Amino acid sequence: MPAATGVTAPSLTTFTRSVRSKGISVESSTDNLISLLKRRQIRGSQACAIATAYLLRRVVESVKVTDVGRLIERVQQVGQRLVSAQPRELAIGNIVRRVLGVIREEAEEDREGETSGYSDAGTDSRPHTPRNQDVRSPEHSTILSRSFTSSPLRHGEKDEQVEAPGQWGPQRPPLLTSHASYAVTNTAPTVTSMFSLLSQPISNFPSPTTSPGSQSPGIHQSLSSQTLSNITAAKDLKAEVVEGIQEILEELTQADDQIAGYALEHIHSNEVILTHTSSVTVQKFLLKAATKRKFTVIHAEAYPNNHEATHAAAVGNVRGDFDEDIGAEKFQKALTAAGVTVVLIPDSAVFALMSRINKVILGTHVVLANGGLVAAAGAKAIAKAAKVHATPVVVLSGVYKLSPVYPFDMDSLMENGDPSKVIGYDDGGFVDKVKIENPLFDYVPVELVNLYITNLGGHAPSYLHCIIDDHYRPEDIDLDKVDVY
Amino acid sequence: MLTPPPEEPPTTPPSNPHENTSLPIDITQTYNHLLHTDPLLTHPIAAIESLITLLSTSPAGTISETLALLSSATNTLKTTIPNPIPLSAGTDLFQRYIISTLQSRSSSHDHNARGGGKGKRNHYQGGVEDFRAIRAHLLANSRLFVQRAKEARGKIARVARKFVRDGSVVMTCGRSRVVAATLKAAAEEGVRFRVVYAEDSYSYPSSISAGTTGSKTTDVVGELRARGVPVAVIPFAGVATALGETDFVIVGAESVVENGGVVSGMGTYQMGLLAKSAGRPFYVGAESHKFVRVFPLDWGDLPVRRRGLDFRIEEKERRGVGEGEGEVDVDFTPPELITAIVTENGVQTPSAVSEELIKIWY
Repeated sequence: MPAATGVTAPSLTTFTRSVRSKGISVESSTDNLISLLKRRQIRGSQACAIATAYLLRRVVESVKVTDVGRLIERVQQVGQRLVSAQPRELAIGNIVRRVLGVIREEAEEDREGETSGYSDAGTDSRPHTPRNQDVRSPEHSTILSRSFTSSPLRHGEKDEQVEAPGQWGPQRPPLLTSHASYAVTNTAPTVTSMFSLLSQPISNFPSPTTSPGSQSPGIHQSLSSQTLSNITAAKDLKAEVVEGIQEILEELTQADDQIAGYALEHIHSNEVILTHTSSVTVQKFLLKAATKRKFTVIHAEAYPNNHEATHAAAVGNVRGDFDEDIGAEKFQKALTAAGVTVVLIPDSAVFALMSRINKVILGTHVVLANGGLVAAAGAKAIAKAAKVHATPVVVLSGVYKLSPVYPFDMDSLMENGDPSKVIGYDDGGFVDKVKIENPLFDYVPVELVNLYITNLGGHAPSYLHCIIDDHYRPEDIDLDKVDVY
Repeated sequence: MLTPPPEEPPTTPPSNPHENTSLPIDITQTYNHLLHTDPLLTHPIAAIESLITLLSTSPAGTISETLALLSSATNTLKTTIPNPIPLSAGTDLFQRYIISTLQSRSSSHDHNARGGGKGKRNHYQGGVEDFRAIRAHLLANSRLFVQRAKEARGKIARVARKFVRDGSVVMTCGRSRVVAATLKAAAEEGVRFRVVYAEDSYSYPSSISAGTTGSKTTDVVGELRARGVPVAVIPFAGVATALGETDFVIVGAESVVENGGVVSGMGTYQMGLLAKSAGRPFYVGAESHKFVRVFPLDWGDLPVRRRGLDFRIEEKERRGVGEGEGEVDVDFTPPELITAIVTENGVQTPSAVSEELIKIWY
């Protein structure tokens, strides 16, 4: 770790400040983030996610190209560089996929406004727009399609302007109508469904026939094949995408509080809760419960890696509010101040105490597509002990930690930390003779977890794939598929 | 629970396909012919192809006429084929595709008609035209469906291949083309791995010693060896022992049922149980068109004409290869033994299967 040379050590706070300033180019911001990630000066799922979101927002803002395909390509390129800079921080890839999803969604909305929704949108729009305005003006049509998809009055208004499409109909390119009625509306939502086998060959059903190497199979292709010329709404699209990224950022900062909102449903009076590491998510959850309930927290200290966090907190919480790990001391102070009885135990005592514990609450680093999780070392021992005692294990995780990546190779997600935390180098005689390892993470298989609580609520582990489907586009799951130039 | 084997199988006794005179072609023969001519065809796809052939020979009638024709052909197929589960995945998919496309088209037309009023768009003539379009689409693109289905296998291989790493030992059994494609893909990419192949000595008693040519079982063994992959062929009796040296198990499936369990060649269940107890991951490779809306609780629930337990008090020759024609050697592996199902859409948990099925049924 390079010591801070001057005023402040580089961190998430300094990065978010620099990425917002217009003076620094997107390229240098990207390089900056990549080196921060590589040097582990930004670490932890939430910090990485926030940094990625800020950078991608900047990228989208600065992109000058006018079509959606290029925008997607650009985000993919930056995303891949970030992911390969720190492949173990899966949250980076999650945010990249979310942003890509936002772009695709906005592009689809636009396209619907121009194809199948065209006549409807046009019809409905008349009361709001002067008749002589060019309907194809990009800004206009985007606004229309957006306003109408959300308008509850959409169907009610129809009868008043039936003559409208007759007026605008001839201007429409004939290709659009043929596509609009069938291929687009029917197959778009079912791209991954079993029906794709029998779907229309000309539809935007992407992958099996086209090479997966071509960038952004689904939407981009159908866009370029038919209506790309009409979608010059990039400027407007950009604003919407930036707005979408803003929403992701808000979600990132609110996730912990939202998860804490479910605390009272899960922690009851006089319960004995076991937790591990000093995750802010868990802390907020317990504090929320402590506002109404009296309970006991048994806190495994997660030696030796929590010490780093303790120091960081002691120095004055240098990593800002986004720091995932706060010191054990601070953790307990806040909890004890809220009236919770806290018992600090060494990790080795977990099994001995498990029989007295009502519930295990764990924070996590990442949740994987199969429901397994990568959490701080020691989590698996706790989960196994809980399994033996049939104690429920509850995992708290923001949706941004939920990765669509299937863990083909578990070892690649594991990380070894600084061995000097176990035995200091000053203990030379010892260090010379013994090999010391300090793994940072554990992989906890899904069968050891009883419940996941995300910012969307509580889910059974078998339900996680639905949340993944809701948040990530299938075409974005494999980010490496796209070639970077 | 052991029940005495029923003399007459409880489900669907075989009936003469010709007694159903409403069918213009012999659907069973078409189905079997398709499977014979193209060894790479899966059962659901063969069923879909048969139905398309049937559609092409029958005049385009009304929607309900056609649906009735399809369902009678489906019933004929189901009663004449010993294991109707895989083919019913295809027939169900075909029928649901027609129905739901008609539904969504008519609703989108309603929508357009209402929006369009008396504008140029008002060429909507009702469901018949839609139906003709769908029928034409299905008849015209049957080759494409076959091609897509085969491509799905390649996609699964590309995904499942990531499980195979340098130095890993993979156990498999059966004649799954998906598994063969996966292992071949891994071999061609230069992954250095080894394969333990459990052979079904019950069906093919003579082939263990030969191990290279002859029976269909060892096709995959021969192909892998030709690519320089060391393969150990073991009898099923040795699976538990060999699992100790195995990293993971991957098998294919004939069909994937609603709860995420799989119907597969005899021995898969056993391998699943053993893999579970040995703590080895148990992966299943299956195209998503093999998903079928059946919910068996165990092997006995399967609607197949199966070989019952053959209790005897007198000695008998071992069952020859040709004997037991018309009975199937399949078993059912429950979802709790399956680590993940690899489809062309990626790696899914068994619980995701019902989700996919619900998407097409409701």
